Amino acid sequence: MTFSEFILRGVLAGSIYVLLAVPMSLLFSTVRTIDFAVGAYALVAAAVAASVGGVLGIAAGLGAAVAGSAAMALIFLLLKRFGCHNHIIYALASFGVATALASAVLWQYGTQSFVRDSFSQFWSLAGIRISPQGVLNLVTALVAVTILYVVIQRSQLGRMMRAAAVNVMGSELAGIPVELIQVGTYLVGGLLGGIAGLLILFTAGLDYSAPLSLTLSGFAAAIVFGIDNPFRALFGGLAMGVAEALAAGYTSGMVTSMVPFLFLLIVLGTSRFGDATVAGDRT
Amino acid sequence: MTFWANHRNTLIAIAAVLIAAPFVASRPVWLDSAVILGVYALLALSVGISYGQAGILTMSQGAFASVGAYAAALCSARWGWPPFTDLVLAMLLPAVLAYGVGRVVTRLSPLATALATLALGSVISIYIRHADDLTGGYVGFAGIPAIGFIDTPLEYAVLAWLLVIAVVYGYENLMRSAHGRALNVLQQDQARARADGIDVARSMSAAFALSAAIAGIAGWLYAHYVSVLSPESLDTNISVTALLMAVVGGAGYVLGPIIGTVLFDTLTRLLPAAELQGLFYGLALVVILLVARTGLMGLGEQLIGAARSGLGRRAAPAAGLPARAAS
Repeated sequence: MTFSEFILRGVLAGSIYVLLAVPMSLLFSTVRTIDFAVGAYALVAAAVAASVGGVLGIAAGLGAAVAGSAAMALIFLLLKRFGCHNHIIYALASFGVATALASAVLWQYGTQSFVRDSFSQFWSLAGIRISPQGVLNLVTALVAVTILYVVIQRSQLGRMMRAAAVNVMGSELAGIPVELIQVGTYLVGGLLGGIAGLLILFTAGLDYSAPLSLTLSGFAAAIVFGIDNPFRALFGGLAMGVAEALAAGYTSGMVTSMVPFLFLLIVLGTSRFGDATVAGDRT
Repeated sequence: MTFWANHRNTLIAIAAVLIAAPFVASRPVWLDSAVILGVYALLALSVGISYGQAGILTMSQGAFASVGAYAAALCSARWGWPPFTDLVLAMLLPAVLAYGVGRVVTRLSPLATALATLALGSVISIYIRHADDLTGGYVGFAGIPAIGFIDTPLEYAVLAWLLVIAVVYGYENLMRSAHGRALNVLQQDQARARADGIDVARSMSAAFALSAAIAGIAGWLYAHYVSVLSPESLDTNISVTALLMAVVGGAGYVLGPIIGTVLFDTLTRLLPAAELQGLFYGLALVVILLVARTGLMGLGEQLIGAARSGLGRRAAPAAGLPARAAS
């Protein structure tokens, strides 16, 4: 394989990370926390879609993923009602939700790997064999990010979201339903995580043990170029896909498996992540 | 009297172990459970020091334990070190690793630190899977010898709980020392800690290293007792379980992690299917965060405080004793 082939494959593979990274970035901007269950939403979507099958299965999978995130959003609201404003407690609760969802999938479907073939034929681009599913993944990621861009930058809702991200109290005083926006962000996370899960189902597949590493990969992709802007997650995801593909081509299997985690450790070690950056700023 | 006041947790732990011992010793299967429970208790205690005292939400204790376990396996089975000498390496390796990473990540926000520990755990786990020459890779490591004269499950159970009591004793002493007080301050307010002259990064990293060393002891014990190691033996699931046990029991209290360990173990036995374990653990975590964020120990302290203040009011209504603030 040539260098350009690795790059192309990396970009296609990275589109999954994009879909996992965007919810991380959105949630961190609006609530300043992490939803550890994003990977679990992906697993739930894939498991339900694989068992139901067909278009109905896809709808049911997405519905199950959003239901999972709705449960997390409810817990978030309850924690706030009970006077908890500690972001690490929200993250810890999402950890509990992730564990519970993965266990529910294990109980219901066993240790099987969820994987489905969507396209039997491959395309050839300048002599490089590429999977139509990979292209579909990339297109899906681009469409999702474009829709988010339009909503966040051009709509009334987006303005409210950005305001809520920068200044919670100021937004509440201006009549913006901050809590509703935060809950909505959790739900969008569930939807995007679910879409990512469906794409993984038709690409490499996944099993009950996947959620935590998916979440971590998404987070790594989200912080590479700065977590406070969801659009940087697009490039972060693609960069991580390329890094992984290059590692697969030029190094050992061990390094390839470590790429998302090393990415995360290096970025955390060299950045001032979480110091005192203003959420939602556009600098 | 002073010893009782200063070492209440240690004495409670000793009393509980002595009360449970005759019942546990009567059934071989319970002895086996007691050893594994001891391993989990050590891991949960290590989370207590890291998260409960230093504020580092650690998700790498399973990985530190596996470093300790493989160190024990290599030293005893391959290099023929005398019994107990491998414990030094099993504690030292994870501690050095944790201190190095701690110095880099503890300057970050608590969430970032948590993610860094999870990533570190994953890197260690992947290394173990791929380092065939050293760890046996996916196949694992078999034939790890017993610890000298300690051979039977009864002897291992005694050793395991002696270690737990020793860790509780050391933990209690630590929290009464200047280092412990420094940890308490920096967990509440880092700026205040700096103003008090505390080197925040060093204190947090040292606490993280100590917690990793305790996880290493758990791994050492596990390796010698089970005598077989594989990458799945002490993986991320173990880290997660230890974290949940500590939080549910009360990570900020010395005995909280042990309470959580015993509770989870007891309730796991009542589950209809082993696959449901994660569902139960996750729900238990969410419920405890909603109902009592300081864990069961915190809940108990609140209830006792409320009962005391109620009694106080009834006994002396005119005095108007204030309710004891629960920590």
